[in-house]
Amino acid sequence: MGTVGVTVGQIPFGQFFSSLSNQGLRVKMGPFNVQIGMTCAMLAERLYRLYANYELAECDLAEFHVQIGPVRLLKKPFSPHARFLLDGRSPFPPFPTGQALAALEWGINLAIAARINHLLLFHSAVVERNGHAVLFPAWPGSGKTTLCTALVHRGYRLFSDEFGLMDPHHGIFFPIPRLMPLKNESIRAIRDYLPEVMLGPEILNTHKGTIAHVPPPKESIARSSETAKAGWIVFPRWVSGAALRLEPLPDAEAFLLLASNSFNYEVLGEKSFQAAAGLIKSCRCYKLTYSDFDSAIDAMNALTDDI
Amino acid sequence: MISKQPAHHRLLLNALVNPASLVEYDTVKWELLLRLARKVKLLARLAMDLKNRALLDQIPPRAANLLQSSLIQAERLQQITHWELNRVSWALKDTDIPVLALKGVAYSLAGLPESTGRVYVDLDIMVPKHRLSDAETALTKKGWTNHHKLSAYDEHYYRAWAHEIPPLVHAERETEVDIHHTLSPPTSRLKINTERLFEAAVAARNSGYRILCPSDMVLHCAVNLFENNELADDLRDLLDIHDLLLFFSRNEPDFWKKLKERANQLNLGRSLFYGVYFSRLIFKTSIPENLENDLNEKPNLLARWVMHQLVPHALFPLHPDKHSRQALIARSLLYLRSHWIRMPIHLLLPHLAYKTYLSIFPRKA
Repeated sequence: MGTVGVTVGQIPFGQFFSSLSNQGLRVKMGPFNVQIGMTCAMLAERLYRLYANYELAECDLAEFHVQIGPVRLLKKPFSPHARFLLDGRSPFPPFPTGQALAALEWGINLAIAARINHLLLFHSAVVERNGHAVLFPAWPGSGKTTLCTALVHRGYRLFSDEFGLMDPHHGIFFPIPRLMPLKNESIRAIRDYLPEVMLGPEILNTHKGTIAHVPPPKESIARSSETAKAGWIVFPRWVSGAALRLEPLPDAEAFLLLASNSFNYEVLGEKSFQAAAGLIKSCRCYKLTYSDFDSAIDAMNALTDDI
Repeated sequence: MISKQPAHHRLLLNALVNPASLVEYDTVKWELLLRLARKVKLLARLAMDLKNRALLDQIPPRAANLLQSSLIQAERLQQITHWELNRVSWALKDTDIPVLALKGVAYSLAGLPESTGRVYVDLDIMVPKHRLSDAETALTKKGWTNHHKLSAYDEHYYRAWAHEIPPLVHAERETEVDIHHTLSPPTSRLKINTERLFEAAVAARNSGYRILCPSDMVLHCAVNLFENNELADDLRDLLDIHDLLLFFSRNEPDFWKKLKERANQLNLGRSLFYGVYFSRLIFKTSIPENLENDLNEKPNLLARWVMHQLVPHALFPLHPDKHSRQALIARSLLYLRSHWIRMPIHLLLPHLAYKTYLSIFPRKA
């Protein structure tokens, strides 16, 4: 395990807020450093709580420079709005100030997806158990974030609920543990199943409905420099009341599903084809249908015990 | 100017003219350089310069990763733009419409070595004005449509006042196709005889495509930068001029003489003057000393002095953390200039008024 530097929770809030509102706070997020600027104290307080375990990256190069800044809309002069800036530019329209946390997290994802091509970026949740990564590629309505949240509170290490960051030459996955945005009914489901878990505030009326963030477990952040190769690719689907089913998936089908769930598959061209083909060959691929967390976790445990 | 040149200009410029020195940059310098280069679309250019010198593994890995990422993206954009040109040529092959490839894709077809690291997002082509509607019809029949839903105003703007028609894009792809019929807006003071451009056009090596002849390619680049654009963050375009001048002067016999004569023949002396002047000022391009002397329509001394003060502040990116007042003023003035020279005043004032109105009350997307 590498040495962990100073974390956000180890500095006083005053210093945290002063960094955010002056030179920018620099935080390590997996393989990247992000510099964040903002002047809104309410948002800073939320972030201080949710980012407590993140390591500061004061002395290293930051890849991304983002800001949340107030903006006055001429059409809605009395409703406070803010905008997200990536290197001084807004990639999406202003939003009500109350949604700033969701916009910040989403904006950082957008920046990674738009700019990173030295890694192959799968749209996938990734967790690790017994030294190997499990990929849960996005399958619309699959609830990958929800399943991922449950798993990482039952012994799995969080890599990401959104990005499978793969070195296309060596087949290695990089952890990038970030806040996990639960949506709508998933919020209730996780509150019921994991009452001990701290959730961020419920953010209403975003473009994805209501969102509440779960911070990554402390250990997942502390170990975010430990990479892993993938052992399993599981396409999950939550179906109300369904009995648990874990069925093998033919390689060809898994390949197509995986390749179509990538942010930059086409940008990398032949390199990503080779990488995805190699990944499928080295992994066992399944389709998972589940309705309750306990049986899904049991099935995943049985699968990942069999290395 | 050199003595007053802001430190961040020097940082970026040094990277472009002396890439080997980048191995000595610390992470603080690298972070600023990466932000500056991205702003002016030159990240992939730096990546190419370092890759060609096998220096990517001698710089901070985080910087190398961002550079690699931008180069991979540039290569992909080049691939799909070339493919779009292939498809456009296919769609027009049964017509006898002469088509010229322009800008980035043309530099690559001409064999410009630096084009490997150049980002180009759109496909730019030129057809004769009287064949414009034929080309548009032929492409529309084969699956291209208007890229954006244009308002009646924008449609009118393009059709009446612009040197290109509203961009097309094929239903199955993403690359925008800009079809030009001349090099600068018909409303501007430049009256370019486009027939001459088509007459002098050349076949690009082994490709089956046609491009502007070397002199015209340089002139187009200069016209586009100094007559059509607002110059803000356009350092890349000046670097194109520098690259093209060096490349053609090495490979084309009598290039400088031909360039000078062609500029005068097409009445583009003013654009070439500025292209040569700023390329030499900023990139120290080795250009014959007396080249400008024989150009017609040179800007007067006052205009030169004003442009000398303003242009570098626009071409170079603003410092990401502290925008200098001077640079912001220079950019505003050049923004006004770009409109002033593109449109006569009776068109310009209503146009700017309408744009101001839109900035306050944007139309629903």
